[in-house]
Parts: sequence; structure tokens; C-alpha cells
Amino acid sequence: MTTGTVFWYASRATGVVSLVLFSVVAILGIMVNRQGRLPGLPRFAVTGLHRSLSLLTLAFLGTHIVTAIADGYAHIPWLSTIVPFTSGYERFWIGLGTVAIDLMAAVIVTSLLRTRLSPALWRAVHWLAYVCYPVVVVHSLGANKDLRSGWLLALTMATVFSVLTAIGYRILAAAATVPRPARVPRQLVRADRTGSLR
Amino acid sequence: MTSGAQASATGRQASLEGTVQPGATVQPEATVQPGATVLPRLLSASGRPADLAEHLRVHGRLLYRGGARMLIHSIESAGLTGRGGAAFPTHRKLTAVADQLGVPVVVGNGAEGEPASDKDKTLLWSSPHLVLDGLQLAAEAVGARRVHLYLHREPALVRHLESALAGRAAAGLDRLQVGLVTAPARFLAGEESALASRVGGGAALPRFTPPRVFEHGVDGAPTLVQNVETLAQLGLISRYGPAWFRAVGTEAEPGSMLTTIRLADGSGGVAEAAIGTPISQLLKLDRYPARAVLVGGYHGAWLSPEQAGRLTLSNADLRPLGAAAGAGVLAALPVDRCGLVESARVVRYLALESAGQCGPCLNGLPRIAASLNQLAQRRSTPADRDDVQRWSALVERRGACHHPDGTVRFLRSALAVFTDEVTLHEAGRCSARSPEPFLPIPAGSPAREEDWS
Ligand SMILES: Cc1cc2nc3c(=O)[nH]c(=O)nc-3n(C[C@H](O)[C@H](O)[C@H](O)COP(=O)(O)O)c2cc1C
Ligand code: SF4
Repeated sequence: MTTGTVFWYASRATGVVSLVLFSVVAILGIMVNRQGRLPGLPRFAVTGLHRSLSLLTLAFLGTHIVTAIADGYAHIPWLSTIVPFTSGYERFWIGLGTVAIDLMAAVIVTSLLRTRLSPALWRAVHWLAYVCYPVVVVHSLGANKDLRSGWLLALTMATVFSVLTAIGYRILAAAATVPRPARVPRQLVRADRTGSLR
Repeated sequence: MTSGAQASATGRQASLEGTVQPGATVQPEATVQPGATVLPRLLSASGRPADLAEHLRVHGRLLYRGGARMLIHSIESAGLTGRGGAAFPTHRKLTAVADQLGVPVVVGNGAEGEPASDKDKTLLWSSPHLVLDGLQLAAEAVGARRVHLYLHREPALVRHLESALAGRAAAGLDRLQVGLVTAPARFLAGEESALASRVGGGAALPRFTPPRVFEHGVDGAPTLVQNVETLAQLGLISRYGPAWFRAVGTEAEPGSMLTTIRLADGSGGVAEAAIGTPISQLLKLDRYPARAVLVGGYHGAWLSPEQAGRLTLSNADLRPLGAAAGAGVLAALPVDRCGLVESARVVRYLALESAGQCGPCLNGLPRIAASLNQLAQRRSTPADRDDVQRWSALVERRGACHHPDGTVRFLRSALAVFTDEVTLHEAGRCSARSPEPFLPIPAGSPAREEDWS
């Protein structure tokens, strides 16, 4: 294995791990939003896990990017880490990866500064994670042909399916939520209907 | 009720003849002298709203003390307590806010969310300048640079205050410009954390404490929240001194307080009374007998006519019975009404006014209200009574704010005072002859987020 192929394989491997981690972070984020719990963990632990895994994803992503550029074969300029569609090699697929990095940076920076930002601004930027995820998936499938067959394809499908399931759950749960001002009247109607309460 | 004409005055030793009839003009114009025991002190003696010229003629300009904390000692000697319901010593709150690190915000609380109370609206209508003097003095005492007046959302009242503020600006009386903030007509709107949220631009919803509002209130600043009557009293004490203030009232609870009175004959109004005045005198119980007396409003308590007959309007008398003078609501339930029907209406209203943020309040109060309604409608069994008691114990002290506790206090006093009626109802009967509602319940419960701001 030459130095070149080490970078090549490292980049591919960390890319796949990042995709899987990002999927887990997304699912945990939805759980935090719905105030869900994991068995045996207090509620705040889910928030903590969401946060630490997103930083871990960042570490893998950093390696993925650095090794991809350091790999002499692909010729990706450093500029491509922030400006999309500037890579000569696989311009479109790599460009999508850059778009994902920019979106992710916005989400992470606003989260780190969360206590100093208005909750509305933080929330608005955090919605970008839902845009970022499909971009990441398309980038992965486009840039890495290994993902299109065999067990890597199965892995990719499984992670995407899990995230879609979680999003579906979030939509259904949000639709079933009674707006705060309507909660008490609803409870009162229920209590009246049951009449004597025993 | 916003008309100043509804405000009437009460002589301390006078027999209170005709004092609480709406529209009554009572006392001749009187300038308050130091040491005087003449009431009213707070409400305009003429019965008409005191405009700036009259205010200055009667009381003179407000006297700034020239530095923070200088007024606090007089307030302590006077023994002034908060008139918003909790009767907390005002000098302690002033000191606590002045001791905080940040620059404080001062808010005058004129939300008057309590439907049975009209005294703050009447005071703001009758003597806006006393309140506004108090606001400036409180701000000086705690070193604030931002002041607000939070008042019941009622266009005529807001305009009245706007013009009062404009007059003061022209006369150069105010050191700090006062921002007016309107309170939604919600029962909880005047609770201090709801107030802080509303003044900061949010909805008037209580929030979880601590930190308390005096540490972390409007926009995170230490915040002094003081009832408008407390501020008006401060405006008077700053001029006439503690000894004058103590010339009426009791040793432990000095001064006068505004009361909203509902007599058993259906008439009523706002009257200023010395603390320690017999309740039977204020409600004219010998002339208009009552089935029961409600003191302190919808977070207050019912008293039997016998209890009311021997007690005075003071916490020393009322607290041992689990009641309190609160914000000065006194209502005599006519003998032909049913106390359980009235209480069920009130508890239902209180349940619907819950902000629905805390589980026990959200789930418990509606159940209690429904059970009590069963009882009022004569469709219940003794087991329902146990249910109400059990649920009450479950919600007590479990909310972010005092709402469940206040509701439970009201309800328990109803079951205790109307215990004979409970037995009758469980047997399918009711002793009341009139189905007509007595206590005021506002129409319309909150249904949308906007109803809270
Ligand atoms: C449920 C609830 C409602 C309240 N509503 C009012 C109100 O409408 N007006 C008011 O002045 N205080 C109200 N208070 C009391 C305030 O929280 C606060 O203690 C008061 O304004 C302080 O002023 P004071 O010390 O001058 O009484 C309410 C308290 C509670 C718990
Ligand atoms: S206790 Fe009730 S009224 Fe108070 S904050 Fe909680 S839900 Fe709202």
C-alpha cells in the first residue's frame, strides 16, 4: 500500500463512518425534540449524547476531508473545503460534500453559541440539518461508487431508512400535539364527559 | 369598572352609610394633614379623577430623596406591605432588589387579573399621579434606570394613563420615562414571573422559579414588581411620613387598604378602609345578611357568616382560618344563592385560566372542576367528595406558580363552609332559591397563544 492509497482508503472509510454517525445524530436530535428517552438513561442524557456524537462526527469528517485532499490522486484544492463546486475531480459530487460542510458548520457554530443567540435564530439554523442530511447521502452515493452495491449499499439504505422513520415519527407526533392554550379546555371536556371520576 | 365615579370612600370610624354605592360622592374635599386619620387617602376625595393640577394642589410635587435606598428606611418604619395579595414587607423587597449586582428594572403591577377585584383599575383611574409618583420614587430607591407600568388592557384606562404621563412630562416631574405595557385579561397575568415575561416582550405566562424575579426578571435584570396601590402608598409615605401612615390600621398591619366590596344586595364598589375594620361593617352584614363571605378573591377563602361577623379585615384575624386579606376582595353571598354552584363556577374558571404548562395543574384542575360541578349539579355521591380532596392534595405545591395552591385553598374552604349544602346536594336537593349567578366570571377562556399577550 502506498502513501497515496492509505489516504484514499482512510478518506473513504471515515466518510462512511461519518455518514452513519450523522444518521445517529439526526435520530437522537429528533428524540431530543420530542423529549424522548433511551432505556436506562435520564432525559438529559439523550441531549448529551446528541451533542457529543455530533462533535465525534465532526472529528471523522475532518479526517475525511483532510485525507481526501492529501490524497494526491484526486487533486482536490483546499478551496473546495469551503467553496462548493471548485474541485476539478468529481466537481458535482465533491461540491455537494462542500455544501454539506457549510450547512453543518452553520448548525454547529450556532449550537456552540446557543446561550448567546435568540432561541428563534438557533432553531431556524438548526432546521438546516434536515437539508444537510439528504445532501450528505447524495454526496456519498455519488462520490463513492463502493456504496452502490454489496453490504455498503445495505448499510447506507439501513441508515437512511432509520432517519426517514424518525422524521415520520416526528411529523406524526407533532400533528398529535395539542397547542398549549387548548390543552386545559380539552382536559376539562374529557373530565366532564367521564362525569363521576371513578 | 373604570369610572372614577365608582370609586367611593370610607370613613374610618364612620358607619359607612352609603359608602359603597356606585356613583356615591361621600366625603367633602379634604386635604390630607399629617397625622390625619381621614380616609380616603389614596382615592381622590372629590370622587372625580385627580388630574395633575389637583394632584399637585393636594399633595405637592414629589420629593426625590437624592440617592438610592434613602427612602427605604421610612418605608420600613411605616411598615408598608405589598397590596398585590401577599402582604410582603415592601422595604425588604426594595432592599433585596437594590442589593443585586445588575441595574434593576421597576414595574408597577396594575394587571388586576382577579375578576372580583376592581381596586387597581379604580385607583389608576382616580389617582394616577400618586401611582406614578410612587413608581419614580421606587426606581430611585433601588437605583433603576428603566420603569414600566403594566396595566389591565382596557383602552380607556390606557389612554387615561398616557395623558397623565404626557402631563407629567410637560411639567418635568419624571426623571425616568415610564413605558406602558398592557396585560392580557388573564387571571395569571399579574403573577410576577408572567409579568416579567410580558414586559420583556413575551407572553404573560408564569415561568419556573427560581431564579426569582427580583434576581432575574425583565430581560434578565433584577426586577422590582410592586402593586400599583403599594406604589401609591409609597408616594404618600414619602410626603407625609411613617407616623402619618400608621395613624390608621393596626399596630401589626398599619395603614389603609383598598377593598372591592360586593354587598349581598348586589350593590358594591371600591372603598378604602383602615386595616382592622370589622368585616361585618364593610359588608353591612346586619342590614344585608349573607349566606357566606368570600375574602381575598378567587385564590382566597369562604367564611361562614358567624366567622365573618367576628373578624376584622386583617391578616392577624384571617390567617388562622387559612384566609387572607389578599388584594382586598370582600363579597357577601346573598342568602338565596348556592355556595356550591358559585364555587363550581369559580373553580371551572380557574381551571380554564391555568397556563397548562405543568402536569398537575393541566390534569388536576380540570378533574377537580368537573367533580365539583357534579356536586353542584346534585349528581354526585360522597365518594366524589373524596375524589376532590384526593386530587387537591395531588396538585398542591406541584405547579411552577401558586395557581394550583390558590385554587385548592378556595375549594377546600367551600367544602368546609358549605358542608351542610354538600350533604343536601348528595341527597339530590339544594337550599338555594335563586339560580342567578352572583360572583363575576369573565366571558371567554383563553384558546389561542395570542390570548396570553
Ligand atoms: C396567580 C397570581 C396572580 C397575581 N396577580 C396579581 C395582580 O393581578 N396584580 C398584582 O399586583 N399582583 C398580583 N400577584 C402578586 C404578584 O406576583 C406580586 O407579588 C405583586 O405584584 C408584588 O407587589 P406587592 O408586593 O406590592 O404586592 C399575583 C400573584 C399570583 C400568584
Ligand atoms: S402551576 Fe399551572 S398556572 Fe402555574 S405555571 Fe404551572 S400550569 Fe401554569
